[in-house]
Amino acid sequence: MADQADFERDALQYAPQLYTAALRMTRNPADAEDLVQETFLKAYRAYHTFQAGTNLKAWLYRILTNTFINKYRRDARRPSEVDLGELEDMYLYRRIGSEHSAASARSAEDAVLEGLVEADVKKAVESLPEIFRLPVLLADLEGFSYKEIAEILDIPIGTVMSRLHRGRKALQKALWEFAERRGLLPDEVADE
Amino acid sequence: MSDRCDEALANLYLYLDSELDRVSSDRIRAHLADCPPCEHVFSFEHRFKLVVRERLREEVPPEFIAKIRAVLSSEYEIDG
Repeated sequence: MADQADFERDALQYAPQLYTAALRMTRNPADAEDLVQETFLKAYRAYHTFQAGTNLKAWLYRILTNTFINKYRRDARRPSEVDLGELEDMYLYRRIGSEHSAASARSAEDAVLEGLVEADVKKAVESLPEIFRLPVLLADLEGFSYKEIAEILDIPIGTVMSRLHRGRKALQKALWEFAERRGLLPDEVADE
Repeated sequence: MSDRCDEALANLYLYLDSELDRVSSDRIRAHLADCPPCEHVFSFEHRFKLVVRERLREEVPPEFIAKIRAVLSSEYEIDG
Protein backbone atom coordinates (compact mmCIF):
# COMPACT_ATOMS: atom_id res chain seq x y z
CA MET A 1 0.00 0.00 0.00
CA ALA A 2 1.39 3.35 -0.98
CA ASP A 3 1.88 5.78 1.82
CA GLN A 4 -0.82 8.38 1.29
CA ALA A 5 0.92 11.16 3.19
CA ASP A 6 4.21 10.65 1.35
CA PHE A 7 2.48 10.56 -1.99
CA GLU A 8 0.53 13.76 -1.39
CA ARG A 9 3.53 15.57 0.03
CA ASP A 10 5.85 14.62 -2.84
CA ALA A 11 3.58 14.44 -5.86
CA LEU A 12 0.89 17.11 -5.46
CA GLN A 13 3.39 19.95 -5.79
CA TYR A 14 3.57 19.12 -9.51
CA ALA A 15 -0.18 19.44 -10.07
CA PRO A 16 -0.09 23.03 -11.40
CA GLN A 17 2.67 22.22 -13.89
CA LEU A 18 0.94 19.05 -15.00
CA TYR A 19 -2.25 21.03 -15.50
CA THR A 20 -0.45 23.57 -17.70
CA ALA A 21 0.95 20.81 -19.91
CA ALA A 22 -2.38 18.96 -19.92
CA LEU A 23 -4.18 22.06 -21.10
CA ARG A 24 -1.92 22.35 -24.14
CA MET A 25 -2.38 18.64 -24.82
CA THR A 26 -6.17 18.46 -24.55
CA ARG A 27 -6.82 22.06 -25.60
CA ASN A 28 -9.59 22.58 -23.08
CA PRO A 29 -9.79 23.13 -19.31
CA ALA A 30 -12.34 20.43 -18.46
CA ASP A 31 -10.40 17.68 -20.22
CA ALA A 32 -7.15 18.99 -18.75
CA GLU A 33 -8.56 18.74 -15.21
CA ASP A 34 -9.82 15.21 -15.88
CA LEU A 35 -6.48 14.21 -17.35
CA VAL A 36 -4.53 15.47 -14.35
CA GLN A 37 -6.94 13.86 -11.87
CA GLU A 38 -6.62 10.56 -13.69
CA THR A 39 -2.87 10.94 -13.74
CA PHE A 40 -2.76 11.34 -9.96
CA LEU A 41 -5.09 8.42 -9.44
CA LYS A 42 -2.92 6.16 -11.61
CA ALA A 43 0.23 7.49 -10.02
CA TYR A 44 -1.12 6.76 -6.54
CA ARG A 45 -2.10 3.21 -7.54
CA ALA A 46 1.34 2.62 -9.08
CA TYR A 47 3.27 4.49 -6.40
CA HIS A 48 4.60 1.26 -4.90
CA THR A 49 6.46 0.70 -8.21
CA PHE A 50 8.09 4.12 -8.07
CA GLN A 51 11.70 3.88 -6.99
CA ALA A 52 12.34 6.39 -4.25
CA GLY A 53 15.14 8.76 -5.11
CA THR A 54 14.51 8.61 -8.86
CA ASN A 55 12.86 11.36 -10.87
CA LEU A 56 9.31 11.71 -9.55
CA LYS A 57 8.45 14.65 -11.81
CA ALA A 58 9.48 12.73 -14.96
CA TRP A 59 7.58 9.68 -13.70
CA LEU A 60 4.40 11.75 -13.31
CA TYR A 61 4.82 13.24 -16.78
CA ARG A 62 5.23 9.77 -18.20
CA ILE A 63 1.90 8.78 -16.67
CA LEU A 64 0.33 12.03 -17.90
CA THR A 65 1.47 11.57 -21.50
CA ASN A 66 0.59 7.86 -21.57
CA THR A 67 -2.85 8.61 -20.19
CA PHE A 68 -3.33 11.36 -22.73
CA ILE A 69 -2.21 9.18 -25.63
CA ASN A 70 -4.39 6.24 -24.57
CA LYS A 71 -7.41 8.19 -23.49
CA TYR A 72 -7.61 10.36 -26.53
CA ARG A 73 -6.45 7.56 -28.82
CA ARG A 74 -3.79 9.80 -30.14
CA ASP A 75 -1.04 8.65 -32.39
CA ALA A 76 1.85 10.33 -30.64
CA ARG A 77 3.91 7.18 -30.57
CA ARG A 78 3.29 5.92 -34.05
CA PRO A 79 6.33 6.82 -36.14
CA SER A 80 4.08 8.44 -38.66
CA GLU A 81 5.60 10.91 -41.03
CA VAL A 82 3.53 13.96 -40.35
CA ASP A 83 4.55 16.34 -43.04
CA LEU A 84 5.45 19.75 -41.72
CA GLY A 85 6.99 20.66 -45.04
CA GLU A 86 10.52 21.89 -45.46
CA LEU A 87 11.26 24.53 -42.89
CA GLU A 88 14.47 26.45 -42.51
CA ASP A 89 16.42 26.49 -39.28
CA MET A 90 16.06 29.65 -37.21
CA TYR A 91 12.88 30.35 -39.10
CA LEU A 92 11.71 33.40 -37.17
CA TYR A 93 15.14 34.96 -36.94
CA ARG A 94 15.72 34.62 -40.66
CA ARG A 95 12.29 35.93 -41.59
CA ILE A 96 12.76 39.02 -39.48
CA GLY A 97 16.30 39.48 -40.82
CA SER A 98 15.20 39.13 -44.42
CA GLU A 99 12.84 42.06 -44.06
CA HIS A 100 15.09 44.33 -42.07
CA SER A 101 18.55 45.71 -42.42
CA ALA A 102 21.10 44.80 -39.77
CA ALA A 103 20.58 48.21 -38.20
CA SER A 104 16.86 47.78 -37.58
CA ALA A 105 16.77 44.00 -37.08
CA ARG A 106 17.16 44.26 -33.32
CA SER A 107 14.20 46.52 -32.85
CA ALA A 108 12.15 44.30 -35.18
CA GLU A 109 13.13 41.25 -33.09
CA ASP A 110 12.13 43.03 -29.91
CA ALA A 111 8.82 44.05 -31.47
CA VAL A 112 8.05 40.47 -32.49
CA LEU A 113 9.12 38.83 -29.23
CA GLU A 114 7.33 41.36 -27.06
CA GLY A 115 4.26 41.45 -29.28
CA LEU A 116 3.57 37.72 -29.26
CA VAL A 117 0.64 37.53 -26.90
CA GLU A 118 -0.31 34.54 -24.77
CA ALA A 119 -3.22 33.59 -26.97
CA ASP A 120 -1.01 33.43 -30.07
CA VAL A 121 1.67 31.32 -28.43
CA LYS A 122 -0.90 28.92 -26.98
CA LYS A 123 -2.70 28.61 -30.29
CA ALA A 124 0.57 28.09 -32.16
CA VAL A 125 1.64 25.31 -29.77
CA GLU A 126 -1.77 23.68 -30.02
CA SER A 127 -1.54 23.77 -33.81
CA LEU A 128 1.47 21.43 -33.77
CA PRO A 129 0.76 17.78 -34.54
CA GLU A 130 1.04 15.78 -31.31
CA ILE A 131 4.23 13.95 -32.18
CA PHE A 132 5.93 17.34 -32.27
CA ARG A 133 3.85 19.11 -29.64
CA LEU A 134 4.68 16.71 -26.82
CA PRO A 135 8.49 17.00 -27.12
CA VAL A 136 8.22 20.79 -27.51
CA LEU A 137 6.08 21.06 -24.36
CA LEU A 138 8.36 18.77 -22.38
CA ALA A 139 11.49 20.65 -23.42
CA ASP A 140 10.37 24.25 -23.69
CA LEU A 141 7.64 24.43 -21.08
CA GLU A 142 9.03 21.96 -18.55
CA GLY A 143 12.75 22.07 -19.24
CA PHE A 144 13.21 18.29 -19.29
CA SER A 145 16.47 16.99 -20.74
CA TYR A 146 16.46 15.01 -23.99
CA LYS A 147 17.14 11.85 -22.01
CA GLU A 148 14.18 12.49 -19.71
CA ILE A 149 11.93 13.22 -22.69
CA ALA A 150 13.06 9.98 -24.34
CA GLU A 151 12.05 8.11 -21.18
CA ILE A 152 8.76 9.94 -20.77
CA LEU A 153 7.68 9.36 -24.38
CA ASP A 154 9.42 6.00 -24.70
CA ILE A 155 11.20 6.94 -27.91
CA PRO A 156 14.95 7.04 -28.73
CA ILE A 157 16.92 10.21 -27.97
CA GLY A 158 17.63 10.75 -31.68
CA THR A 159 13.88 10.79 -32.31
CA VAL A 160 13.39 13.29 -29.47
CA MET A 161 15.98 15.57 -31.04
CA SER A 162 14.58 15.44 -34.56
CA ARG A 163 10.96 15.90 -33.42
CA LEU A 164 11.92 18.72 -31.09
CA HIS A 165 13.90 20.41 -33.82
CA ARG A 166 11.14 20.13 -36.39
CA GLY A 167 8.46 21.04 -33.86
CA ARG A 168 10.28 24.21 -32.87
CA LYS A 169 10.68 25.27 -36.48
CA ALA A 170 6.98 24.71 -37.09
CA LEU A 171 6.19 26.70 -33.93
CA GLN A 172 8.33 29.58 -35.17
CA LYS A 173 6.62 29.49 -38.54
CA ALA A 174 3.18 29.60 -36.91
CA LEU A 175 4.25 32.50 -34.72
CA TRP A 176 5.72 34.35 -37.67
CA GLU A 177 2.32 34.16 -39.32
CA PHE A 178 0.66 35.58 -36.19
CA ALA A 179 3.27 38.34 -36.08
CA GLU A 180 2.60 39.29 -39.68
CA ARG A 181 -1.14 39.21 -39.21
CA ARG A 182 -0.90 41.44 -36.16
CA GLY A 183 1.41 43.81 -37.96
CA LEU A 184 4.10 43.47 -35.31
CA LEU A 185 6.92 44.26 -37.66
CA PRO A 186 7.92 47.90 -37.63
CA ASP A 187 8.39 49.47 -41.04
CA GLU A 188 11.93 49.53 -42.27
CA VAL A 189 13.49 52.85 -41.37
CA ALA A 190 15.35 54.27 -44.34
CA ASP A 191 18.99 54.96 -43.62
CA GLU A 192 19.29 58.62 -44.36
CA MET B 1 31.38 32.79 -41.49
CA SER B 2 34.26 30.82 -40.05
CA ASP B 3 34.39 27.13 -39.13
CA ARG B 4 33.83 28.27 -35.58
CA CYS B 5 30.58 29.95 -36.63
CA ASP B 6 29.46 26.77 -38.42
CA GLU B 7 30.26 24.70 -35.37
CA ALA B 8 28.42 27.08 -33.05
CA LEU B 9 25.31 27.28 -35.23
CA ALA B 10 25.21 23.52 -35.72
CA ASN B 11 25.07 23.21 -31.93
CA LEU B 12 22.70 26.09 -31.29
CA TYR B 13 19.86 24.09 -29.73
CA LEU B 14 22.10 21.61 -27.95
CA TYR B 15 23.80 24.59 -26.36
CA LEU B 16 20.60 26.37 -25.40
CA ASP B 17 19.13 23.13 -24.06
CA SER B 18 22.26 22.52 -21.92
CA GLU B 19 22.84 19.22 -23.70
CA LEU B 20 26.51 19.76 -24.59
CA ASP B 21 29.44 18.58 -22.54
CA ARG B 22 31.41 21.19 -20.61
CA VAL B 23 34.27 21.44 -23.14
CA SER B 24 32.00 21.98 -26.13
CA SER B 25 29.78 24.49 -24.40
CA ASP B 26 32.80 26.43 -23.10
CA ARG B 27 34.17 26.56 -26.64
CA ILE B 28 30.90 27.92 -27.96
CA ARG B 29 30.66 30.45 -25.15
CA ALA B 30 34.15 31.68 -26.00
CA HIS B 31 33.22 31.96 -29.66
CA LEU B 32 30.06 33.93 -28.85
CA ALA B 33 32.11 36.41 -26.84
CA ASP B 34 34.20 37.05 -29.97
CA CYS B 35 31.57 36.90 -32.68
CA PRO B 36 28.69 39.43 -32.50
CA PRO B 37 26.70 37.88 -35.39
CA CYS B 38 26.63 34.45 -33.72
CA GLU B 39 25.96 36.03 -30.35
CA HIS B 40 22.99 37.82 -31.91
CA VAL B 41 21.45 34.57 -33.21
CA PHE B 42 21.99 32.76 -29.92
CA SER B 43 20.54 35.55 -27.90
CA PHE B 44 17.47 35.73 -30.14
CA GLU B 45 16.82 31.99 -29.85
CA HIS B 46 17.39 32.11 -26.10
CA ARG B 47 14.91 34.97 -25.72
CA PHE B 48 12.45 33.14 -27.94
CA LYS B 49 12.55 30.10 -25.64
CA LEU B 50 11.94 32.30 -22.60
CA VAL B 51 9.04 34.09 -24.29
CA VAL B 52 7.38 30.79 -25.21
CA ARG B 53 7.69 29.48 -21.65
CA GLU B 54 6.45 32.72 -20.16
CA ARG B 55 3.41 32.95 -22.45
CA LEU B 56 2.38 29.37 -21.77
CA ARG B 57 1.94 29.97 -18.06
CA GLU B 58 -1.51 29.13 -16.72
CA GLU B 59 -3.58 29.95 -13.71
CA VAL B 60 -4.65 26.73 -12.08
CA PRO B 61 -8.44 26.68 -11.52
CA PRO B 62 -9.54 27.39 -7.95
CA GLU B 63 -10.07 24.29 -5.84
CA PHE B 64 -8.09 22.25 -8.33
CA ILE B 65 -5.70 20.77 -5.78
CA ALA B 66 -8.62 20.22 -3.40
CA LYS B 67 -10.43 18.24 -6.08
CA ILE B 68 -7.41 16.03 -6.65
CA ARG B 69 -7.13 15.44 -2.90
CA ALA B 70 -10.81 14.49 -2.85
CA VAL B 71 -10.34 12.01 -5.71
CA LEU B 72 -7.39 10.50 -3.89
CA SER B 73 -9.30 10.31 -0.59
CA SER B 74 -12.03 8.21 -2.12
CA GLU B 75 -9.31 5.95 -3.49
CA TYR B 76 -7.79 5.56 0.00
CA GLU B 77 -11.19 4.41 1.28
CA ILE B 78 -11.32 1.72 -1.39
CA ASP B 79 -7.89 0.62 -0.21
CA GLY B 80 -9.39 0.35 3.25
